[in-house]
Amino acid sequence: MIRCPARARRATVILATFLAACARDDSRGVGGPAVTLPTPYPRPSFTLTGTDGQPFDFQARTRGKLTFVLFGYTHCPDVCPVHVANIAAAMRVLTFEERARTTLVFITTDPDRDSLPVLRSWLASFDSTFVGLRGPVEDVTRLAASLQVAAAMFGARNPDGSYEVGHGAQVIVWQPDDTARVIYPFGVRQAEWAEAMPRLVGRTPTLIQRITGKS
Amino acid sequence: MQFWCSASGKAWTWAFTAYPGVWALVALLAFTYARLVRHDAPDARHRATGWIGVLTIWLALDWPLGPLAAGYLASAHALQFLLVALIAPPLLLLGARAGLVTWWTTGGERTTLGRVVGTLGKPLVAAILFNFVTIATHVPAVVDGWMTSQLGAFAIDACWLAGGLLFWWPIVVPAPERPWFGGGAKLLYLFLGTVFHTGIAIAMLMRDYPMYAIYELAPPMSGMSAMDDIKIAGGIMELAGSAIVFGVMTVMFFRWSREAGNP
Repeated sequence: MIRCPARARRATVILATFLAACARDDSRGVGGPAVTLPTPYPRPSFTLTGTDGQPFDFQARTRGKLTFVLFGYTHCPDVCPVHVANIAAAMRVLTFEERARTTLVFITTDPDRDSLPVLRSWLASFDSTFVGLRGPVEDVTRLAASLQVAAAMFGARNPDGSYEVGHGAQVIVWQPDDTARVIYPFGVRQAEWAEAMPRLVGRTPTLIQRITGKS
Repeated sequence: MQFWCSASGKAWTWAFTAYPGVWALVALLAFTYARLVRHDAPDARHRATGWIGVLTIWLALDWPLGPLAAGYLASAHALQFLLVALIAPPLLLLGARAGLVTWWTTGGERTTLGRVVGTLGKPLVAAILFNFVTIATHVPAVVDGWMTSQLGAFAIDACWLAGGLLFWWPIVVPAPERPWFGGGAKLLYLFLGTVFHTGIAIAMLMRDYPMYAIYELAPPMSGMSAMDDIKIAGGIMELAGSAIVFGVMTVMFFRWSREAGNP
């Protein structure tokens, strides 16, 4: 028979409470699967300036491609570099042909500081094929609103002249059929992107993948 | 004000942050050590060894290494583990060895703390406990779940220190009641006692994707990618950890062979 004196029971309860408290206190909300859009978005038509200084017709230039779109700014201390780095890292799972049919489009919400060379240089530090777009704040705000992305909020200037820009943190994903069905909030990990990417690009799953349900 | 370093999700700045909980723990350690060596003053070398142990704990837990390890870099977390669990405990025990022996032989063994240390400090128990602590505190669910709260981060650091002290206790503090635990047994104990720590290092080095969400999703504070960070963490665990353990084993081996040659 297992003996369980009161002191041991009390200690167990205290330990369990402590563990539960520690586990609950996860204010950062790490993790985060895709969110299905109630109404899928068709690939939008808009033109902004690419980092080569030429007009970039989004619909024409990305048609038929798996396209990750996010709004952000290069001075962003947290969300933007993590999102872009994780997507870039996960793209390794794609084949050469799939990679050629995949792109990431980063639309700056801070055109004052994100000049075209700054945007190009920042994106190239993750992947030289990523597309950077820049336009007047009003145009970008209107575009973001049409995609249900929060408008940019400019914070107060610090003594050194720097400032933060609040912006929507989601990545909108247009699949090769030119329809966006899901968005990814902040918190998606590289392994999660890597698992989702073959499916998003339209790779036909193998028999084993169909049985196990994994990409 | 934060009591203990934990993952905050805020962008890193080099602005100094005070952690009173760390200072309180270091003050407690320093006070306890000073009391232990008050009557049985060790020689200057051993006294310095103990104070270096206290200083190591302070450096490992306080700003900037503490917050970096708590929420920004897995490599800093690995370095902190080595400092708190593998480096500081033997230094502290070496410095306080004379005082501990006196305390142990003058009634300390019969106190509650003495009974706990006597039970948990047995070589087999200590090795199992240390490896359990090492594995449990490196499981991604535990790191991601606990490091986001001050209490959880404190619990992990406290487990490392307590586990480290217990692990090094049979090596540093002489135990006449265990004549079988001589030079060869101690070498084997050290080797087997850190096998799982090597396993964790290999798991970090072999990964395709970052191991911990808190470091992968943390605001970047260096030019290092999350994958580079976890590989460096594995390298620190493997290379620096092995260097510490095998360094101690080498010293012990030569001391043991010298004693065996000159009985």
